Amino acid sequence: MGIITILWEKWREFRRDFYKITLAAMVAPLMYLIVFGMGIKTISNGEPYLNFLIPGVVALTTMNGSFNAIAQNLNVQRLYEKAFDQVMISPTPLWQFIVGQVIGGSLRGLYAGCIILLLTIPIGTGLVFNGVSFLIMFLNGAVFSIIGVVVSFYAKSHTDVPRFSNYVIMPMAYLCNTFFSTEQMPSGIRQVVGVLPLSQTSGMLRNIAVGGNADAKGIAILAAYLIGFGGMAFWFLYKKKNL
Amino acid sequence: MIEIKNLTKKFDDFTAVDSLDMTIETGEFFGLLGPNGAGKTTTIGMLSTLLLPTEGEIRIDGQILSRKNPALKRKISVITQEYSMRQDMTMDEIMEYQGRLYFMPVKQIREKTEELLEFCGLKEFRKRTVRRLSGGMKRKLMVCRALLTDPEILLLDEPTAGMDALSRRQMWNLLRQLNEKNLTILLTTHYMEEAQNLCQRVALMDKGKLEEINTPSGLIEALGTYAVDEVTAQGVRSRYFHERREAISYLESISGQTTLRDTTLEDVFVERAGRHLM
Repeated sequence: MGIITILWEKWREFRRDFYKITLAAMVAPLMYLIVFGMGIKTISNGEPYLNFLIPGVVALTTMNGSFNAIAQNLNVQRLYEKAFDQVMISPTPLWQFIVGQVIGGSLRGLYAGCIILLLTIPIGTGLVFNGVSFLIMFLNGAVFSIIGVVVSFYAKSHTDVPRFSNYVIMPMAYLCNTFFSTEQMPSGIRQVVGVLPLSQTSGMLRNIAVGGNADAKGIAILAAYLIGFGGMAFWFLYKKKNL
Repeated sequence: MIEIKNLTKKFDDFTAVDSLDMTIETGEFFGLLGPNGAGKTTTIGMLSTLLLPTEGEIRIDGQILSRKNPALKRKISVITQEYSMRQDMTMDEIMEYQGRLYFMPVKQIREKTEELLEFCGLKEFRKRTVRRLSGGMKRKLMVCRALLTDPEILLLDEPTAGMDALSRRQMWNLLRQLNEKNLTILLTTHYMEEAQNLCQRVALMDKGKLEEINTPSGLIEALGTYAVDEVTAQGVRSRYFHERREAISYLESISGQTTLRDTTLEDVFVERAGRHLM
């Protein structure tokens, strides 16, 4: 029931800012596709680079869509508006609040990813995006939504969320198997980047896009992030003495 | 009934609330008074579970209050000192969100919202977002939001701050009516007139410690029911007397601009705060 309340709040927000949200989701990925995929027409392993790029851009779009939908918003509610107090005081179980945020954020990420897929239809790449792809996009969104929840909870000021975006989200967007394969990275770095959630999502989407399957190890890694950050969020809400 | 036992809250080395013990009876209108930094808001914070105690416990109707006890939290509504509302929501949305968080059916939320906004004179502004409301309107909206869920306990942290005199009086009348319906109210306020008018008992706090619990009239009687104000070169100086004839006799013994009046709770507060500050 509490989850529905949070989703209602997210839906209200989405309906009100529909055009802003949609445009914001489109601009950056569209630029990547135009500049890297269509402007610089390269071939990678005998395939158009665009075919490599699209799954990566879809993955990073779901990441950005989910993280941005949660982190900044919740941070403002907690530190500036104090509206988060309303939730803490209410009888809505706090775990339901977290789950509602994660589902709401994942759906926003999925929406952003779907816009990119729709925009690439006219290009006719022949890439496959099936039900499993959408599940992976949702799971990726869930991971970055819960990261958004945790960052907003632990942020001490309004500038902490943009700072986290600059230092963590942005480098991930460029390095995690999105614009180029992690195989080309030096050993050591390759292994570290390889276990980051976006690398796994990009890799799995790319595999499925060319007719392969999702990797169980990739799904397990995403699930591990979800559980790990989920634990931090639960600890904060139930155990932290001063919110 | 709210039972507070050995309640302590520390922020690193600073003790904001120190071993607080008190009991608030069901249906009581109870005031928490003290100078800035006395620990009133921290106490409200712990009663609303926004803060967890360092030591001690709070029991409501015999059950320990915690963040994991939704049934107990259902009984409590809070009006915080700050405007704790989403700025981008309209009044209707704020009310619906609150009702949903308290698991109320949507039909009931809408009926009750209608009634409360009408009562507080906010109905014509219901489609306005919070950021476009005046301070007084926001305060009234917070009252409507708190009452929407039919709480058994109402925690009020400076509820009339920023309200004009008329709105404040309206609020007092509303709170009195609610208290008559057996709603337990815990109020913190800087307006001593408010506490004197509304509260059956008040607790005086200073530097996190409970100094005294008494009725407003009990505190006034202890200081002296009659006050003589004397204008001196240093400002107005007040002296307090238990008997009217003592006050009159003092009045006759001094010259200059003087006034004889009834002692108020504000006098008690000023006397105590002044004594501690010196």
